[in-house]
Amino acid sequence: MDIYKQLKKTVFLTAGVFLAGACTDKFEEMNISPNNPVEVSSAVLLPNGIESSVDRYWGHNARYERLNLDGGMLWMQYLSRNIYSNEGDNYSVNPSFHNNNWKGFYNDAALNFQRIVVQSGPGGRNPNTNYEGIGLVMRSWVFSLLTDLYGAIPYSEALQGTAESPVYTPKYDSQEQVYAGLLEDLRLANEKLVVGGPKVSGDVMFYGDILRWKKFANSLRLKLANRQAAKKPAESRAVMAEILGDPATYPVFTNNEDYAVLEHTSALPSNNEWHQVMIQGSRTDWNMSSTLVDQLQALGDTRLTVFAQPNKAGEYAGHANGLPDAIATTYLSSSSVLGTAFLQPSTPSVIMSYAELLFVLTEAALDGDISGDAQAYYEQAIAASFGQYGLEVPAGYLGAAGPATKESIMTQKWIALFGQGVEAWTEYRRTGFPVLPPHDSRAVFMNDGELPSRLQYPSSEYSLNQAQLDAGIALNGGPDNMKTKMWWVE
Amino acid sequence: MVIWLLHSSYAIAQNQVVTGKVSSEEDGLPLPGVSVALKGTTIGTVTGMEGDFSLPVSGENNTLIFSFIGMLQQEVPVGGRTEITIVMAPDSKQLSEVVVTAFGIEREKKALGYTVQEVSGEELAEVKTSNVVNSLSGRVAGVQISSNGGPGSGSNIVIRGSSSVSGNNQPLVVVDGVPIQQSSTNKYGGGISEINPEDIASMSVLKGANAAALYGARAANGVILVTTKNGSGTKGIGLAISSSATFERPLVKPDFQNTYGGGHGYRTWYSNGRSATITDPLEIAQYQDAYGPNAPLTGTAGTDESWGAPLDGRLVRQWWTGADVAPLVPQSDNWDEFWETGQTYVNSIALTGGNDKGGFRLSVGRLDQKGIMYNNDFKRNNISLNTSYNLTQKLKAVVSGEYIESGSDNRGFQSGQQFIWSHRHVSWDQLKNWRDYAAVHIQREGDDLPPNWQHTFFTNPFYEQEFLTDANDKDRIRGSVALNYAFNDKLSLLLRSGTDLWSDTRINVSRFERISNGNFRAGQYSEEVLRNQETNHDLILTYAGTLSPDISVTAQGGGAFRSNYYKRNYAQVEQLVIDGLYSLNNNASPNINASAIEEKQVQSLFGSAQFGFREYLFLDVTGRNDWSSTLPANNNSFFYPSVSLSAVLTEMLHLNSSTLPFAKVRGSWAQVGNDADPYQLAQIFNARSPWNASVPSFAENTTIANATLKPETTTGTEIGADLRFLDGRIGLDATYYEQVTKDQILGVEISKASGYHQRILNAGKVSNKGVELMLFGSPVDMPNGFKWDVTLNFARNRNLVEELAEGLTTYTLYTRQGVSSEARVGQPYGTFYGNAFKRSPDGQVIYENGLPKIAEGQAVLGNIQPDWLGGVSNAFTFKGITLSALVDVKKGGDIYDEGTGTARWTGQYAETAVGREEGVIGKGVRNIGSAEAPVYVPNDVIADGKAFYGYNNPRTYHESAIFDASYVKLREVSISYSIPASLVSRIRAQSASISLVGRNLAILFKNTPHIDPEIDAYGGNAQGFTYGQLPNSRSIGAGLNVAF
Repeated sequence: MDIYKQLKKTVFLTAGVFLAGACTDKFEEMNISPNNPVEVSSAVLLPNGIESSVDRYWGHNARYERLNLDGGMLWMQYLSRNIYSNEGDNYSVNPSFHNNNWKGFYNDAALNFQRIVVQSGPGGRNPNTNYEGIGLVMRSWVFSLLTDLYGAIPYSEALQGTAESPVYTPKYDSQEQVYAGLLEDLRLANEKLVVGGPKVSGDVMFYGDILRWKKFANSLRLKLANRQAAKKPAESRAVMAEILGDPATYPVFTNNEDYAVLEHTSALPSNNEWHQVMIQGSRTDWNMSSTLVDQLQALGDTRLTVFAQPNKAGEYAGHANGLPDAIATTYLSSSSVLGTAFLQPSTPSVIMSYAELLFVLTEAALDGDISGDAQAYYEQAIAASFGQYGLEVPAGYLGAAGPATKESIMTQKWIALFGQGVEAWTEYRRTGFPVLPPHDSRAVFMNDGELPSRLQYPSSEYSLNQAQLDAGIALNGGPDNMKTKMWWVE
Repeated sequence: MVIWLLHSSYAIAQNQVVTGKVSSEEDGLPLPGVSVALKGTTIGTVTGMEGDFSLPVSGENNTLIFSFIGMLQQEVPVGGRTEITIVMAPDSKQLSEVVVTAFGIEREKKALGYTVQEVSGEELAEVKTSNVVNSLSGRVAGVQISSNGGPGSGSNIVIRGSSSVSGNNQPLVVVDGVPIQQSSTNKYGGGISEINPEDIASMSVLKGANAAALYGARAANGVILVTTKNGSGTKGIGLAISSSATFERPLVKPDFQNTYGGGHGYRTWYSNGRSATITDPLEIAQYQDAYGPNAPLTGTAGTDESWGAPLDGRLVRQWWTGADVAPLVPQSDNWDEFWETGQTYVNSIALTGGNDKGGFRLSVGRLDQKGIMYNNDFKRNNISLNTSYNLTQKLKAVVSGEYIESGSDNRGFQSGQQFIWSHRHVSWDQLKNWRDYAAVHIQREGDDLPPNWQHTFFTNPFYEQEFLTDANDKDRIRGSVALNYAFNDKLSLLLRSGTDLWSDTRINVSRFERISNGNFRAGQYSEEVLRNQETNHDLILTYAGTLSPDISVTAQGGGAFRSNYYKRNYAQVEQLVIDGLYSLNNNASPNINASAIEEKQVQSLFGSAQFGFREYLFLDVTGRNDWSSTLPANNNSFFYPSVSLSAVLTEMLHLNSSTLPFAKVRGSWAQVGNDADPYQLAQIFNARSPWNASVPSFAENTTIANATLKPETTTGTEIGADLRFLDGRIGLDATYYEQVTKDQILGVEISKASGYHQRILNAGKVSNKGVELMLFGSPVDMPNGFKWDVTLNFARNRNLVEELAEGLTTYTLYTRQGVSSEARVGQPYGTFYGNAFKRSPDGQVIYENGLPKIAEGQAVLGNIQPDWLGGVSNAFTFKGITLSALVDVKKGGDIYDEGTGTARWTGQYAETAVGREEGVIGKGVRNIGSAEAPVYVPNDVIADGKAFYGYNNPRTYHESAIFDASYVKLREVSISYSIPASLVSRIRAQSASISLVGRNLAILFKNTPHIDPEIDAYGGNAQGFTYGQLPNSRSIGAGLNVAF
C-alpha cells in the first residue's frame, strides 16, 4: 500500500535528518570532567597528604573524632574535660572515633602517599626517587600510627584499590609483620632519599631539605625498632646498630632544630588544629589535668609555665579526669587552661622531637640494646625537652627527677611528649609508665575503668571486610574491644 | 528539512471542509471552546463564540470527536456531510474519561493498559498551596509527598515506593510535553514547586515504568504530567482573576513541662551566659537568698538544658534582669511566642482569547509568603503566555513560555532546636526584643555577643534571623515551540523544542562579627551562582488510520535530543574587613573558591504503535533506544520496550447491565533504561585548600571510577481492572504491580583500607510490589441538586532489597548519630539499625540499678517504609455550594526523631517533670538470677529522674528515638460558593466564586507524642531522619475567583 511506503520513507527521512544534526562522536570528549584533573604531580599531592595526616594526629578538629585532644591527651591525663566527659575523658568513645580515624588515615593521608610512591617509583609515570622516599617515610609513619592504634591492620595488601590487580578486601597483617615491613620500608626510604638528587617541591614539612627527610626516616626507624625491642631483640638491635654505626649513611636528628614537625601558618586551614578547635571553634571544654599539674609542680618543672596558663587566682591548678559533668563543670573557671604557646595558629604539630629520639636511645642503652650511658642520654633528653621550649633545666631538677630507671625515663618522656598525646599513650601502653594516680572517687569511668588499650575496628570493616577482619582479630590474640593488649606490650 | 516538508505537503490533497455548531443540551445555548478533533489525527479545532467550528477533513470514513469538560464526549461520523449540528449532554458518569498520557497525547482511559490518575485544575485551585504538588497527597493512590514547610520549599515525591538505593527516587515532571528540571534540594524548591497553580489545567500521574516508556530513562520513577491552561474554551476575550490569602500557624505544639526552669542541679541562675563562678558579693547574696548558703557558686546558663529550679516565683538573675533579680515563672506560651503567623498571598490574572484559528492565554501570578519563622520570606512572580494558532489548515503552531522570578531576603529558618536545647523559663517575646535589654545584659569578660539566654552554645535566634540571612534571587525561563503539520488526515509531524533555563544567586551570611571567649571573629559570607539548563528537541511522526474496519492503528516514531548543562560558581569570604558589607573584595584573607561544570547529552529514537480492535481491545507496543554521553562508548546505547493490553469486557461480551455498565481489564510490561551521572568513568583528583594560601594542594578522589559502566534497568509489570457499578455511580479501579530495578549505578562502599571509600558499580536489585485501589462514587445524587461524591484511595507497597554488589550485603543510605538507614539484602530499603534496649524473652526492657540496659551489637529498629497510604475525599454540592474534605492516611513507617529523644534528655517535655525529685521506676524487668540463669521480676528500683530520662539520649540510646510515623490527617477542608449568574452578570462577569479553605487542619491520629510525624528534614536517602525541623503548619484562608 502506498501509505505504508510513504510512512516508511518518512520515518527513515526524519530519523536521518534528526541524527544528522546530532551524533554521538563527541560523547567521550563531553564526559571528560572539566572540573578535575585525571593526573597530578607529586608536588601537589604532598601538601594534602602531610596536612591531613598531621592534623588528624595532632587534632582532630571534628567533634567525636579528636584522636589526640579527646583520646591521647585525656587518657594520658595531660588535659581533663570540664564538660562532656563522655567524649573520651571517661573512656567512652563515640563510634565515629573508631571509624573516622581509620578512614581518615587510610583515605585522606596514606592513599595520597601511596599515589606518590607509585607514580614517582620505578616504572611510574614520573620517576623521582626523592618523592618516592618522602612518600615511603610518610606512608610508614601513618601505618605506624594505625597499627599502634588498632593492632593488626591491612598493610601488605592495603591501598591497592586502583592497582593493576585491585584489592577491595585487604587482608590484615599482624602488628609484628607490620613493624617488620615498616622497618624495611624506612630503610628503603633512606636509600631512595638522595641529598642533591632530584628536586622536590610542595614539601610543606621540610621545604625540600632531603637531609631532614633522611634524618626523620632513620629516627623513626630507631623509634619503631625500640618499640618492638622487647619482642624481637635481635632484629631490633641489628637495626639500631646499622643506623648508629654509620651516621653518614643513616643520619638522625642532632638538635632541636631538625626534629620532625609541621610548622603551621595563620592562613586557614593551614593553622594548628588546637587553634582551630579552641580559638576558631571557641570550644572551652578542656582544662589541665591535675595529674600533670601536680606532677610538674612536685618536680618544680618550669615547662608547666609553657604548657598551662595560671587560673584567675594566679595559680596553676588542674582537676581529675573522668568527672561527671555536674562536677566537672564547676572546675571550668578554676582550673588552668592550655598555655598560649599551644593555641597559636602557627603552633607546630610535633611528629617526632629530638628529645623523643634521645629518650629512645636512653631506653635502648638502659635495656642494653645499644652501647652508651643511659644516664648521659637521659640528661641530654631532659635538656633537649626544656630546650624545645627555650628553657634551661632548673637547678636541682635532675635530682628531683631521679636517676635513669625505666620509670623515671618513661615519666620524663611522658612530660616531654606533652602535645603528642597519641605517642605518649602508646608508650604508656607499652611500658606501664608513668604510674597514673588512682581514679578520683567522684569519677565514673567506662570500659570497666580500664584505660583503653587500643581502638576498636571501625564498623565499616565489619560490614565491608568481615572475613579478613575476623582473621585480623584472631591475630591480635583477643577480642575487638578496648582491653586487648598490643603485641609490643612489655 | 523545510524543503522536504514543503515537498511533501502538496502530495496529499485535502478534500472537504466540515462546518457546524455545538450547543448544550441543558440550556440550548451555544457551547464555545468545545474541542473538535478528527479522529486518529492531531487535526482539530475549538468552537468559537457561537459554538461554531470549521475543520478540513479528507478521505472517507472520517469521524469527528467532540469533547468538553463535564460533557459526554461524542464521536460523529462525517459520512460525507459538510454541516453538522451537535447537542452535547452533561456527563454524570464520566465513563469515557480522557486523560493525558505520554507525549501529551489525550487518550481515552479505557484504551490504556496501565495506570494513569488525573487531578483536575479545579481540584487543585480550590485549596491553594504555594507548591502545587503537595495537593496530590491523599488524592492519588500510591503517591507519597513529604514537604519541609519553609516558604518556597520543595517536596520529596515518591511514587510506588523507592526503587533506587542511590537516592534519587523523584518522578520526572513534564510541563506541556517538555521536561522541567526538578530540584533535589527542599529548601530552595524548584521545578514543580515554582509553577503557578492557577495556570494548571490538570496533572496526570503516570505511575511506574509502565506508564512512561516513551519519556526515557528518567521516567523510571514515574512521571507527573502537567498540562497548563491555554486559550481554548473561552468566548472571545476572557479575563479571570483569582486571589487568595492564607494564614499559617504551627500544627503541633510539643507537650512541654512548665515546672522546672533551665540549668542543672535544681538551680536556675544567669550569671554571665556561661558556666561561670559567682564572685560578685551582691550576686552571691542574691544567689544564696534563692538557693541557700551551701549551693555551689556557679551560674547555670552554660547548660542548655532544663534541669533547673522549680518555677515557683523565687527571685533569680535571668538574662534580661542585669544585676537585678526577677521571679522565676513558667513561660507556658513561649512556643506560641516564638512562631510568627505565616502569610501567603496568591494573586493572579489571566487573559484568554480564542477563535477558530487559535487561542492564547496570558497569565500573571504573584505569590508573597512569610514564614512562621521570623524574617523568613519568599516571593514569586510568574508570567506565562500560551498561544496556539492554526497557520494554515495543516500547520499549527503552539508557543508557550513562562518567566518565573523568585527570591527572598532570607530563605533561612531556624530548625526548631530552640525547644530542644533550651531553658523552659525564657520568654521568646523578650528575646525577640533583645535590643531593649542590651544595656543591662551581663556577659563574661571577653564576650561581645548579642543578648541571649546563654552564650556557650547558642546565639539569639532572632538576631541570627535578622543578620545571618540566606538570600536568593532566581530567574527561570521555560518555553517551548511546537509545530504540527498534518500531511493528510492520517499522517502528521510534530517538531518541538523546549528549554528550561534557570539561574540562581544565593548570598548566605554565615557569621557576624563578634568577640567570643576573648577571640575576635570576623564576619563571613558566601556567594553562589548556579546556572542550569535543560533543552529538549523532539520530532514525532504520527500515523493514525485503520487496517480494516475493525482495527484502528496509531503509530508514532521519532527522535529526541536532550542536553543538560550545570554550572556553579562559589566564593566565600572567610574574614570580612567591614562587617555587614557583603562584597567579595571586602576580605581580610583569601577567599575560598569553587566552581564546577557538568554537561550531558542523551539522544533517542523511539517508536510506538497502538492497535484498537472494535473499540474494546487495545494493544500498545513501544520501544526506545537511548544513547547517553555519560556511559562508556561501547555501552552507551540501550534499548527498552514495553507492551500493554486493555480489554473493555462489557463491550467485548456485549454486557448491557446497569449493575455493571463498564468493566475493563488491563495488563502491561515495560522496561526503562537509565544512564549515569557525568564523569564517573575516569579516576580524578580533587583540589584542596592551598597550604598557607599559596602551595597548591590536590588529593586523589576516594571514589574508584568505573570505565565499564552499563545502564540501569527497571522492569515493571502491572495488571488491573476498572469497574463501574450501578449506572456508573460507583467505580473501582484496582491495580497490582511489580517493579524491579537492577544494575543500579551505585557508589558501593569498600574497605577503607583499600585506600578508597567506594567504587562505582552496576549493582543491586530492588523490587517494589504493590496494590493500588481507588473506589469512587456518588452515594447521594438527589433531584434537587444535592450531591455527595466520595473517593477512596489506598496503596500498599512492599519494598525489598534483593541483591547488592557481589560480597556486599549492606548499603548505607544515611547515618546520623550512629543510627543508619540501610538497604540490606533481604530487608526493605530504609531499615534503621542502631542500639536497642536489652529485653527479656517476653520482650520487656531489662533494668539494672533502675536504669535500662543496652543490647550488644546493632539491632533492626524499624523501617521508613509505610505499610500503606490512603485518602478519603468527600465533596458535597448543593446549589452552587461545595463542601469538600480530604483525609490523608499514612499507616506505618518509622522515623528516627532525634529531636524528641534529645528534648526528653534535656528535660523539656512534660513526662520529664514526673519524678524529678522523687525518682522514677522504669517499666520493665530486672534480673534477680545470674547472668547464665536469669530470673526476671518487675523492675522496682527507683532511679534518679535525670539519669533515667538521660536514657532518651538519641545519640546513644537509638531505640528511644524511633517512632511510628502513622498519621490520619484532615488534610483539606474547603467550602466554595458559586455566586449565581444573575448576581454575577451585574458586574458583567461570567462566573464568580468565593471559598474558605483550610489545609493541614488537624491530626486525627498519630503515635508521635510531640511532633507532626510527617517529616522530611534532609531529603533524598535521608528520609525518616529528623531533628527539630521547622514545624508543619496549619493554614486557613479565603479565596476569590472571578471570570469575565
